[in-house]
Amino acid sequence: MTAGERKSLLMGVAFISPWILGFLAFNLYPLLASVWYSLCDYSVLSQPVFLGTQNYVDLWRDPVFWKALQNTVVFAAVAIPLSTFLSIGLAVLLNQPIAGQGIYRTIFFLPSLVPAISLAILWQWMLNGPMGLVNNLIRPILDFLNLWLHTQLKTPDWLNDPNFALWGLILTGLWGTGQAVVIYLAGLQDVPAELYEAAELDGTSAWQRFIHITLPMLSPVIFFNVLMSIIGALQTFAVPYILTNGGDGPGRSLLFLATYIYQNAFDYWNMGYASALALCLFLLIIGLSLITVRYGERKVHYSGK
Amino acid sequence: MAKVLIENLYKIYPGEKGRPEKVAVDNANFEIQDREFMVLVGPSGCGKTTTLRMIAGLEEITRGAIYIDGKKINEIPPKDRDIAMVFQNYALYPHMSVFRNMAFGLELRGVPKDEIRHRVDSAAKTLGLLEPDNLLARKPKALSGGQRQRVALGRAIVRNPKAFLFDEPLSNLDAKMRVETRTEISKLHRKLNSTMIYVTHDQTEAMTMADRIVVMRYGKVQQIAAPLELYHQPANLFVAGFIGSPPMNFFTGTLSASRQGTLAFIEKVPAGQTPFRCALSAETSRRLSSRQDRELILGLRPEHLQPNSLTSGVTLEATVEVVEPMGAETFVYLRTGGHTCICRTTQIEFMDLEGKKLNLGPDLSRAVFFDPQTEAAIPV
Amino acid sequence: MKKNFNSTLSIIALLGLGFLFLLPFFWMVSTSLKPLNETMKLPPQWLPSSPQWHNYPDAMKAMGPFWLYTRNSLVLAFLNVVGTVFSSALVAYGFSRLDWRGRDGVFFVLLATMMIPFPVVMVPIYGLFRALGWIGTFQPLWVPAFLAGAFNVFLLRQFFLTIPRDLSEAARIDGCSELRIFWQIILPLAKPALLTVALFQFMATWNDFLGPLIFLARENQYTLALGLQALQGTISGTPWHHLMAASTLVLLPVLVLFFLTQRTFIRGIATTGLK
Ligand SMILES: Nc1ncnc2c1ncn2[C@@H]1O[C@H](COP(=O)(O)OP(=O)(O)OP(=O)(O)O)[C@@H](O)[C@H]1O
Ligand SMILES: [Mg+2]
Repeated sequence: MTAGERKSLLMGVAFISPWILGFLAFNLYPLLASVWYSLCDYSVLSQPVFLGTQNYVDLWRDPVFWKALQNTVVFAAVAIPLSTFLSIGLAVLLNQPIAGQGIYRTIFFLPSLVPAISLAILWQWMLNGPMGLVNNLIRPILDFLNLWLHTQLKTPDWLNDPNFALWGLILTGLWGTGQAVVIYLAGLQDVPAELYEAAELDGTSAWQRFIHITLPMLSPVIFFNVLMSIIGALQTFAVPYILTNGGDGPGRSLLFLATYIYQNAFDYWNMGYASALALCLFLLIIGLSLITVRYGERKVHYSGK
Repeated sequence: MAKVLIENLYKIYPGEKGRPEKVAVDNANFEIQDREFMVLVGPSGCGKTTTLRMIAGLEEITRGAIYIDGKKINEIPPKDRDIAMVFQNYALYPHMSVFRNMAFGLELRGVPKDEIRHRVDSAAKTLGLLEPDNLLARKPKALSGGQRQRVALGRAIVRNPKAFLFDEPLSNLDAKMRVETRTEISKLHRKLNSTMIYVTHDQTEAMTMADRIVVMRYGKVQQIAAPLELYHQPANLFVAGFIGSPPMNFFTGTLSASRQGTLAFIEKVPAGQTPFRCALSAETSRRLSSRQDRELILGLRPEHLQPNSLTSGVTLEATVEVVEPMGAETFVYLRTGGHTCICRTTQIEFMDLEGKKLNLGPDLSRAVFFDPQTEAAIPV
Repeated sequence: MKKNFNSTLSIIALLGLGFLFLLPFFWMVSTSLKPLNETMKLPPQWLPSSPQWHNYPDAMKAMGPFWLYTRNSLVLAFLNVVGTVFSSALVAYGFSRLDWRGRDGVFFVLLATMMIPFPVVMVPIYGLFRALGWIGTFQPLWVPAFLAGAFNVFLLRQFFLTIPRDLSEAARIDGCSELRIFWQIILPLAKPALLTVALFQFMATWNDFLGPLIFLARENQYTLALGLQALQGTISGTPWHHLMAASTLVLLPVLVLFFLTQRTFIRGIATTGLK
């Protein structure tokens, strides 16, 4: 390395030094420490005591862990496709030459600004069994169906019913999907109009144009967004925590991995077990991200930039 | 005022990801005299910019040395080299007014406020930034390309540096502005009397502005000479072909003894074609005697090939392919002996000759000879 | 003909969906202005019979030291914005405007850290802050902001890359040190991007729940989010009118900020997804 190269290396390192510190303190050290803690009995209040793989054995046998894992994965697997479809759909609608496009965009975007605390309390109210607005909108529809089909459909008590709580959360999430709408809309507006014009001259239908032009051109954006959503969904904590008044829902139906880590760490002071859970969550994120990247690489169309 | 010396200069970019390393400047050696206007010229990618940036201190020197006024500056940071640079894209600070753009370098050097104002005003005046509109308060975005270029010049001038460096400063201007600014820079050079190093790939700029020109190719210096010397005595085939537009005509052939005891040049042509042949003067024959019966290349500028000229009775028969009237002169593209040659003439009566045969008379006293192996010119 | 039909259909769809998206907001505000008994009516009453504006001061009072919470939230937001903007810009400069060996490899590591969410690392981080004696103080909630956030670095780097290299070189010749180029050339030119980062960070801090939940101990340090959660937890009989009023109050600053900076904001969001 020449003197000049050494000098520029020092300069570069000096500029990124805040991040290096942050990386060491808040990424690298915690990951390594988690590995150590997960092999220990550790309550923060006293020194960690080495246990070996005991925490992992407990974890394997812990039905609550499996429930949290199941909830987390199911939530991600349902919420991400739904919100992706919804936001692409909204973006496509918005991308038409329609008066007031900016206003609609703002309307769809606004919910994503709502702080988790307000969002959760609002939806606790919206999803209230008898008095919630959601049920009061659904009730007439159900009454109508009951009358004609002689069924006995009843409005669910969303957050107090283990079968519906997760769906209530998903509904809440769908309302807050606006960021993705803005991103997809920007992606759509980047697609050159000539492409559509050329395709129209070739006599394609609107649907064919959507499938063969819009989706491929949008695919890098979708890919990036889905990846970010996966990382986001797997760490869900605040909204379900508040929706359940700091609990985990009826029959633990709103218990997520992040919630369970929190409970073990800060309710039971079982930091060793919490660390083992945290590493599982980390592996889950890495695993799903890698799968997405692998799959995405094959499907995503990158136009030469 | 400064003398710049470049000694065994190399720039080698390390090869990334399996690519071989790139020798961008390959053992350059030249000296720029005090107050000289030196132009570096060459085809794209020949290392002109790299050389200039090493002088500026923006690029690390791989090997060799650069001296300004006898002082080695390899390790000195750009700001302490006392040079100013004008960039191809002007590189004006978009968020600063024209005044601030020019004053910034002075502020950083702790020049007193009054002095700054004085220097900026006088530079602005010289460059016409005050009349008809006072542009000093404007942001660069509100200026035309030509005006921006002048602000960039102004930023260099106010610094009153030892040397000015220019990297293709005119290439973003339209043709007319380019000619205007060209003369303006020349005038500025005369007025400021300072050393200027100017990079361009436009040979017209090189020829019109330079005191001397450095021609580069593949990172290597090909020739260093005054413009006319370069034109008339190119050091090698590349320089001969690169300088001059339209380019020099080349004929490959052999020298054989003629009856008069002098040498004759006979072009090598495909079977069936009439070769260009001409007898050389006694003087030239003597010079080239050692090359008798060997192959060589004869170079003739288009203006030294005139239609129907009967000088020395040598003629070259050719078919007219294209006639390009330029106004004052005409370029005639002709086919002969299996290749194309160009003639540049002021005799415009040949305009409707396309497809016809024409006799050309070469002015052999101006011919340049090259060794086909080394490509070097054979010395006079 | 068909075109017209399609666009009419789109407009109807947009109107319907727009209505659905606005409905929760409407419901929140409407509830916040009802007397308690009207919130319980069945079928629900769309509008309060007479708006109870005093619900808002009442809700504040119910939350306890509302203005103290607000101040805490604002102080934290301010520190986080300042810290992250400067540190992230500095780091982004090192990753975009300087050439040094290994830069791209290190940048890849930075991108990879975006895959480590807070819940994964919060246990050791808690231990770290505990060892420093910072639990129950504000430090855990703002000091890390001065150590640059990966996502913000990424955003700013993308922006810095669009600034021509010439400018830095001209400045270098003009006599700028690297730090001065950063401060006097790059930062002024990156104002829109810095504003975007500042807005995002403000929102993130204002909305943060988990951080304050685990690091704060005493009630007088609570942020608005924690204060509101405490209100939700402590009062029995769920006074929905107060909860909605308080939720609206917490949301309000965010909305105001959004409407003041809408263009920057939307553009910022749009660019985050496009890499
Ligand atoms: N950072 C770099 N890494 C590797 N190679 C480089 C780098 N910068 C320049 N080069 C190579 O060095 C050679 C010389 O480049 P330089 O910019 O000096 O050319 P130039 O003569 O100024 O050409 P132009 O007329 O196109 O501006 C080129 O082949 C270029 O590809
Ligand atoms: Mg160049």
